[in-house]
Amino acid sequence: MLLSPIWKACRMRKLLFLLCFAGGPALADFPETVRNHILPGYAAFDLAAQELAKSADNDCTAQALRPAFNAAYDAWIGVQHLRFGPVEENGIGLSITFWPDPKGSGAKAQRALLTGDQARLQPETFAQQSIAARGLTGMERLLYPKDTLPADPCALIRATAADLARTAALINSAWTTQYAQIVLTAEQPGNTTFLTQTEVRQVLFTQVISGLEFILDQRLGRPLGTFDKPEPARAEAVASGRALINVRLSLAALRAMVETMTPDVPLTMAAFDRAQMLADGLDDPVLAGVSAPASRLKVDILHQAVSALRDTALAELGPALDVALGFNAADGD
Amino acid sequence: MATRRAFLAGLAAAGLPRLGWADIGSPAYLAAGKAGEAFVLHGLSADGRSLFQIALPGRGHAAAAHPAQSLAVAFARRPGTFALVIDCASGLTQHHLVPPPGNQFNGHGAFTADGAVLLTSEVVAEGSAGRIGLWETEGFTRIGEWKSHGIGPHDIKLLPNGHLIVANGGIQTDPTDRTKLNLSVMRPNLSVLSEGGDLLDQITLPDLPQNSIRHLALTQTGAAFAMQWEGDASDAVPLLGLWTPGKPVQTCPMGAAEVAAMSGYAGSIAVSKVDGTIAITSAKGGAMVIFDRTGSVRKTFRRADLSGVAASADGFIVTDGSGAVWACDGTSLTLKARHETLWDNHLIALV
Repeated sequence: MLLSPIWKACRMRKLLFLLCFAGGPALADFPETVRNHILPGYAAFDLAAQELAKSADNDCTAQALRPAFNAAYDAWIGVQHLRFGPVEENGIGLSITFWPDPKGSGAKAQRALLTGDQARLQPETFAQQSIAARGLTGMERLLYPKDTLPADPCALIRATAADLARTAALINSAWTTQYAQIVLTAEQPGNTTFLTQTEVRQVLFTQVISGLEFILDQRLGRPLGTFDKPEPARAEAVASGRALINVRLSLAALRAMVETMTPDVPLTMAAFDRAQMLADGLDDPVLAGVSAPASRLKVDILHQAVSALRDTALAELGPALDVALGFNAADGD
Repeated sequence: MATRRAFLAGLAAAGLPRLGWADIGSPAYLAAGKAGEAFVLHGLSADGRSLFQIALPGRGHAAAAHPAQSLAVAFARRPGTFALVIDCASGLTQHHLVPPPGNQFNGHGAFTADGAVLLTSEVVAEGSAGRIGLWETEGFTRIGEWKSHGIGPHDIKLLPNGHLIVANGGIQTDPTDRTKLNLSVMRPNLSVLSEGGDLLDQITLPDLPQNSIRHLALTQTGAAFAMQWEGDASDAVPLLGLWTPGKPVQTCPMGAAEVAAMSGYAGSIAVSKVDGTIAITSAKGGAMVIFDRTGSVRKTFRRADLSGVAASADGFIVTDGSGAVWACDGTSLTLKARHETLWDNHLIALV
C-alpha cells in the first residue's frame, strides 16, 4: 500500500528511475535510443559506404565489389526504419533504397545514365539524378544485372558508390553535429521540432510501428500477393538474394531499437523472439517459396507473426511510453 | 466567462436577435478536437488562441460556419451520427440534425452565401450512393435532398456563382465500420450542381480511378482538390488537382520524395489569400506540401500529425494532433500556440 504511489511515479516519470530502481534495470529512454541505436547505426553505415566507395575505386568489377556492397546494405538495414530527421531532407533516405519501384523507373533512369553523357556522372550532377537510379538499389542492378548491360558500368558503379558514400556521410554528420542535439533537448525553450519529450517518444514509437509495417506490407506482403496470385518476382532485392536477410536484419534492428526505448515490454520482446525464430528457420532466401502451397505457408506464418508483433507493440509499447499513433494519422477521415 | 455565457444564453433565450461573430470576439477559425476523453469544438483567434470551447457528443470532423450569425454546424466523423447546430455565443446546441432514415452524414457541409440554406454531404448507408441534404436555417428543418452524382461524397463547397461543387470520393464503405468495399472498381468524380441540384459539369480521373477526391478549397477560377491514393502505395501519384469547371482537369505531379513524405494521402487543403499558393497536409506522413498557384511543388514541411490547414492573413495556419497551432508563410513553420486539445482533421476559416 505504502509503496504504491512510488510505483505509480516510476511508471509515470522515467526521471525517477534511478531513485526507484537503484541498481535495477538499465536506463532506457529516448536519449539511450539516440546514443546507443541511432548514432552508432548511422556511423556504421557511413563507414561501410566509405569502404564500398574505396573498393569501387580500386576495382569496379561486380565480383570484387559484392562483399562491400552487401556489408553496406546490411548496415543500412540497421537504420532504414528511421525515417525522421536528416533522411527526410530531399528524399535522401529514399535515394538509398528506392523500393518498391513497380514501374521500373530506377532501371530506366540507369539505362539513360549508362548510355548518355558521362558528364552526368560527375558528383555534383550525379547527386541531382533521379533518386530511383541511385543508392543501394541502383548499385544492385549494376552488380547483379538481370540482362547484359548496354554499356560498361564501371563509371556508373563508381559514381553510384561515391554518391552513396557522400549521402551516408551527410546523414551521419547531420545527426552527430545537429539533429541528435535537437532530439536530446526536446521540451527545452526554443526547440520547435520537439515541443515535449513525449513527442520524441511518439516519433520513435511511430518508427517502430512503421518499420514493422514495412516488413509486413512490403517485404513479405508484396511477394505473398494473394493465394491465387503469388508474386515472387516482387520480393525485395531478389537479384542479390537479400529478400529474407533484409527481413531478418530489420527485425533485429527494430528489436535493438525497442530495447533502448524501454526495459519493460516483455510481451513485445516475446513477439520479436517468435518472429525472429521463424525468420531464422526459413530456408527461402528470396522468398520464392510463396508460389508453392507448402513453402508459402511458412512465409505466411512469418507474416502472421510479424502482424501479431505489430499488434503487441501497439498494445504494450505505446502505453509503456505513454504514447499512441498520431490522433489523425491513425484515423483517416 | 461563465457569467458572460449565462448572460448571452439569457439573451438567446429572450428571443433577441441572433448574435454575429464579432459579438463573440471574432474567432477566425473553428476546429474540432479531443481534450482528455472529451470531444470538443473550439473557436480560435487569428493567432491560435482559444476563444471558446463547446462539448461535442462524439468525435467531430469538420464544421460549417454561418456567414453572418455566430452559428456553427459541427459534423461528426463519418459515418455521421450527428450534426449539431451550435450557438457559439452561448455554447448551446440549438438543433440536433438527424438525416432521413437510411442516410448518414459524411463529415462536411456548407451554408449558402446568404446563410438561408445549409447543405450537408450524406450517403445512403447501404451502397454509399451520395446525397446532398438541404436544410432551411430558421428552424433547421429538412427541405429536400439532391443526388450528389457519385459514391461517397465527402467535402462540398459553394462556388461564388452559387453552384455547389462536390467531391464524390468514390469509396463505398460499410455503414457500420468504415471498411472500404469497392477499391478495385471505385471511380471518384468532381461534380458541379446548379442551385436547383441539377448536374452541370463533372470530371473523373480516368488514369487514376483509385485516387479518392475528398477535400476542396476554392481558387480564383474553381477549386483545388486533395486526393487519397487507394492503389499500390509505391506508385508516385499526384495528390493535388486543379479544376476550373468547363475546362479540363489538371493534376499536379510531385517528386517521389514528396509523395513518400505524404504517404499517398492528402487530408486537408487550403488556398492562400495572399498569393494563391496551395497547401495540402498529410497526418499519415506527418507532412505538408506547398504548391504555387499553377500547381508546381514549392516546399515540404515536416511535423508529426499535421492536419488542419486554413488560409491566414500571411499564408496558412496549421493544426496538429498534439495540440499545436502553427503559422506558415511558405518558408517556415512558426509555433503560434499550444493547447491541451488534440486537433482533429480540419481547421475551418470563418469568413
